[in-house]
Amino acid sequence: MAQELSRRRVAIIALVPILSPVAAAATEIAVPRPKGWIGTVNDWMVGLGIAFAVLGLVLLALAWRSLRTGAVTPTARGWLLVAVGLVPIMVLFLCFSYGLEASSTVQGCGACHTMTPFVRDLENVKSTTLAATHFKNRYIREAQCFTCHSDYGLGGTVAAKFEGLGHVWRYTTGSYTVPIKIAHPFPNLRCLHCHAASQKFLNSEGHPKEAIPDLVANKMSCLDCHGPAHPDQKQAARQ
Amino acid sequence: MRQPPKRVSVLRIAVLLAALFELFALVVLVRFTPILFTLFMFFGELLFGVALLLLVGAVLADLRAKQLLPWGPDQPETSQ
Repeated sequence: MAQELSRRRVAIIALVPILSPVAAAATEIAVPRPKGWIGTVNDWMVGLGIAFAVLGLVLLALAWRSLRTGAVTPTARGWLLVAVGLVPIMVLFLCFSYGLEASSTVQGCGACHTMTPFVRDLENVKSTTLAATHFKNRYIREAQCFTCHSDYGLGGTVAAKFEGLGHVWRYTTGSYTVPIKIAHPFPNLRCLHCHAASQKFLNSEGHPKEAIPDLVANKMSCLDCHGPAHPDQKQAARQ
Repeated sequence: MRQPPKRVSVLRIAVLLAALFELFALVVLVRFTPILFTLFMFFGELLFGVALLLLVGAVLADLRAKQLLPWGPDQPETSQ
């Protein structure tokens, strides 16, 4: 009897680390998935990417085996073409697409510890900074950092990704100074892209019609009245 | 013991490079970080690119050696 109890205890202890993420998820508000939910595009890219990478490794093993004879037979050429030529192209495409998406998320930006005060402020429901207000009220649904810190359109995305490469380089080599400062003045167009067409913006007394050309031309900043966008880094680091 | 032709060794290197690329991609997909992804963009793609070049080069050389290509120095002379 005692032996059976101790066995049960061991089983429960073993299950705790497996079940704890499930328990943590259960405390959040469970919003039901829409009917026919089959996951996000990102989920599929990861799943397919892993499947293709594993398939590629198996095919490479077969291609290696086909070279055992020391001659390049037509069969070996076929295996090699598929294993070295075709499958890796699929893996590259899926990995690249997933990486571009995943690096645009808040978690992606927060992966560098220099971003911790900013991400912590976003997640602080009591914060009144502009970024936190947008985040907690879901004014921007996802990729909140990237949405405000990239210009719209393909050119904006490409430019932001290249800037991101610079960030990774400076972070990895430690060639940055604290407190971090934005590289260029924040252009109002990034705000206006969403707000300019909204009735709340157009009919607000704070946005007289004669001031709008100055806002568009960046002669005055949205942040002059609506700032600060982020918390003071030194103060945030102390908290 | 007979040594395998140089082409076969080159193809084996291509297979190894492609395997490294696949493993790198697996790591990026399973444990994503921006730094890992940046490394993959430069080194992973380089591995794949070199593997592909080696494959194409070795296969073409093999086909040429077997006189299966309509050009190259190994083409048999035709009598008029």
